[in-house]
Amino acid sequence: MVRRFRSTLTVKLFRDFWRLRGQAVAIALVIAAGVGTMVMAVGLIGSLEATRDAYYDRYRFADVFAPLVRAPETVMTKVRLLPGVAAADSRITTRATLDVAQVAEPVTAQVHSLPSPRPEALHQLVLREGRLPDPRHPEEIVANEAFVKAAGLSIGDPVKAVLYGKQVELRLVGSVLSPEYVYVLSAGQIFPDNRRSAIIWMGREQLAAALDLNQAFNDVLVRLAPGASIPEVERRLDLLLGPYGGIGAYSREQQISDRFVAGEIDQLTTMATLLPPVFLLVAAFLLNIVLARLVDTEREVIGLLKAFGFPVRAIMLHYVQLATLLSIGGLALGIALGAWLGRGMAGIYQRFFAFPFLEFRIDGNAYLLAGAATLIPVVLGATTAVWRSARLSPADAMRPEAPPDYSSRAVTWLAGAVGPDEPSRIIVRGLLRRPIRSGLTVLGLAAATMLYVSSASPTASIGRMIDLGFGVADRSDLIVTFAEPRDARALHELERIPGVLRVQPFRAVGARLRSRQHEVREALSGVEQGGGLSRLIDLDGGTYEPPAAGAVLSGRTARRLGVGVGDTIEAAVTEGERPRFRLHVAAVLDSPFGSAASVDRASLNRLLREGNTLSGAYLQVDPIALPRVYSRLKASPMVAGVSARTAMLRTMNETIEQNFAIQTFFYVGLAMLVVVGVVYNSARISLSERARDLASLRVLGFRRREVAFVLLGEQALLVLLALPLGIWAGVELWRFLIGQFSTEMFTIPFDIDPRVFARSILLVAAAAAGTALLIRYRVDRLDLIRALKTRE
Amino acid sequence: MTRLAPEADERADAQRSLVYRVEGLTKTYGEGENAVHALRGVDLVASAGAMIVLLGPSGSGKSTLLNILGGLDHATSGHAWFHDRDVTAFDDDALTEYRRRNVGFVFQFYNLVASLTARENVSLITEISDNPMDPADALAMVGLEARLDHFPAQLSGGEQQRVAIARAIAKRPEVLLCDEPTGALDSQTGTRVLAALDQVNRELGTTTFVITHNAVIADIADEVLLFGDGRITGRRHNAVRASPMGLTW
Repeated sequence: MVRRFRSTLTVKLFRDFWRLRGQAVAIALVIAAGVGTMVMAVGLIGSLEATRDAYYDRYRFADVFAPLVRAPETVMTKVRLLPGVAAADSRITTRATLDVAQVAEPVTAQVHSLPSPRPEALHQLVLREGRLPDPRHPEEIVANEAFVKAAGLSIGDPVKAVLYGKQVELRLVGSVLSPEYVYVLSAGQIFPDNRRSAIIWMGREQLAAALDLNQAFNDVLVRLAPGASIPEVERRLDLLLGPYGGIGAYSREQQISDRFVAGEIDQLTTMATLLPPVFLLVAAFLLNIVLARLVDTEREVIGLLKAFGFPVRAIMLHYVQLATLLSIGGLALGIALGAWLGRGMAGIYQRFFAFPFLEFRIDGNAYLLAGAATLIPVVLGATTAVWRSARLSPADAMRPEAPPDYSSRAVTWLAGAVGPDEPSRIIVRGLLRRPIRSGLTVLGLAAATMLYVSSASPTASIGRMIDLGFGVADRSDLIVTFAEPRDARALHELERIPGVLRVQPFRAVGARLRSRQHEVREALSGVEQGGGLSRLIDLDGGTYEPPAAGAVLSGRTARRLGVGVGDTIEAAVTEGERPRFRLHVAAVLDSPFGSAASVDRASLNRLLREGNTLSGAYLQVDPIALPRVYSRLKASPMVAGVSARTAMLRTMNETIEQNFAIQTFFYVGLAMLVVVGVVYNSARISLSERARDLASLRVLGFRRREVAFVLLGEQALLVLLALPLGIWAGVELWRFLIGQFSTEMFTIPFDIDPRVFARSILLVAAAAAGTALLIRYRVDRLDLIRALKTRE
Repeated sequence: MTRLAPEADERADAQRSLVYRVEGLTKTYGEGENAVHALRGVDLVASAGAMIVLLGPSGSGKSTLLNILGGLDHATSGHAWFHDRDVTAFDDDALTEYRRRNVGFVFQFYNLVASLTARENVSLITEISDNPMDPADALAMVGLEARLDHFPAQLSGGEQQRVAIARAIAKRPEVLLCDEPTGALDSQTGTRVLAALDQVNRELGTTTFVITHNAVIADIADEVLLFGDGRITGRRHNAVRASPMGLTW
């Protein structure tokens, strides 16, 4: 029975589709935006996870890390025998400053002994260029590829280093990748600065000699046996390594590079759960109104088909097929878009994440998910739209619908109050008579505005973060970190360098901070009273002096510890004498980035039972003298690290600009697609419903623009209602995302650039106006005579 | 300035009392073999204040003529002067202005805006007119003073059509063009609508064209034009116009 009717209905199907092609394209674009972001995000999550897992596994990335001061190699036998430990390696790790001809500033380097060549060794290196160092040539080193490229080094280049107070001449023989450094970040940075921070690996014997660690080590890497408990292994490691100056074992979750990779995957997950549903709901709504209108106009056709004996399911199937046909293009386009964007994003990731390979791959699940998310609402929507008409008896369906009744008192009153003239009343009453559709249209447009506002806002907030961090909190030009704590003489040494205008010392020690319930491993910073170069600040830019007694906790640390002002925490220092003491929480400050816990430097010195000791200093330097200051610092045996603020700031700004330019461009495109999709469909539907009214107005002598006002005024009103809602939602979404993006290392302050609002309004208005022009063209070509001969 | 000859003055006077003068009007849809000749050469004059009924079967060209006279459609050839202006030479904008200032329309399916009340449907037009009637007065003329604030959905077909008439006359147009105004109505309701048209024609002196295929209605006219196959096939003058209230069909 169904089969016999199929061919005619198929012809109708394709004709209807062709007739609706304009709207089909608009819907397809919105679906494509949803499917595209979904396929991209889901594909990237899968690709990143698979790549990370394979990389970690193949190159034997450790599960637990245990730094210490010095232990004889024999201790490793005991480590390997600990329950839960599958494999363990020792190594030597230190910091150094490098002097590289190609980079003006001193390069801060993390130095590791090379992993042993055994196949089961942990943290194996991926050789990218050149070769690994030859044990017979102690001066040979390899460095991380990102640094080699950013600094413009070539294989064979000499590298001068100050290693534990000794000047050594090294030579680069290769560039490598390591699973430990997928993301390279130095302290105080929120973006990698590959030109000025390096990771180098060198022969263990050479390093041991420099650090006086022959037959000894200061770092342990552990891979766990399946099912081993991390806290238990950490506890046993701490017990074992405590006597050797163990600083405290920590797991991969706290390892900085892994934390960033995991953070990126989390952000993608947030994006995959937030964005595509918005687009797909908008698309489902559009399809629904298009179909509902089509079914309305085809009510009589449906009655006729039923009268001729077409079964209801054949009629339903017909419209479901049409709905599928209308959305399938968007689905295909979305998958292609998602694959393209995914590949592009994978390329961007490779700039920030040093994976040996990162292939963007979409697995079957992503396709399945995209298909289901698109087609299920479409089929449901089509079925509901048709059901209303299909269940009517043929006779009822073939009778035209009664004219719409606008006599609801609320609608009349409101329109009377709002509309000063009749065309305005037509607009307002038309919108109020279909509150759900009008509401959903407003929501669709608001979603587009929201998307733009929330994606254009990071620039302002991150700019604000950098302003606060570099303009208010830290106004130094250089931060010098010593290899070991020094006394006041070191300070004078720095002050005596020509060109150094001002010096502010700081003290920092690693510590475990404990509250009754929680423990965090953080640095405890000693901040100078009255220091003008580095200050404690809050997110509003207010500055604070360190209290004479007690600690200032960052909001993040206070939340993790579950403490507030007036509470007491315990600090267990993990360096030197390892004193333990209690600290009163004097204040909690939410600051963009910086120390987890700060105390007055003099009190910290007292708590550490030491004299006037410092870990480093903030320097203000005459810009002209910078090169000379650099060369002095590069050669200074006491300096382990130099952070050049201006260079760092420049890199940060470049990264932000590149990143957010791409991102903003991407979201602007998506927002415009939604606006065009919603406005075009909403206006087309309205035009089809109003064609007769509008043609009548033309006949009655209304000019083209007066008639267009009725139709486009309606759309304009919807846009006007949507804009404030969308801006508000965008601001709130950004506020929510800030919470998601802020890590333990930095908090993004909430800031909105008012220009973003202006641009969002311009963008939405421009997209809507462009679409309106298309519609206006149709209004101008209304068939006046036909409108008079037909009844609605 | 050229001095007009006495004969020219007389012709000008005669033209002033003429609202329409139509010569050799044709309208062809399509081309070649598929061409449909809706009008095959129509000539007529309509004097001010006349009630003219165009009578003929469907497809005979009545609506096409009215559409051209009303400025809704372009003629293929020939001329239609509204006073001294040739409507067939108007561009789209001029046609819009012409409809706006001079022509009132009444259609078979009323073409009211469903979201506006009776009063508002009339105001819609009075707002864009130079010297309009008060909408309430226009509705009172067609006997709808008690239904001012009703929406179309709350009115009967005859009432809706009378709202359409009130809307058409409220701007005091010179001509009222009515295309099958009673086509969708029963006889009793239809006569009330015709009575309203008759009253407007008599009281305001609006030149009124009524299209119908219902021969009974022809009796209310001053002049009846019989249409067939795109031509005027006959003309009739009624010495006395019948009262619409007496008609039945």
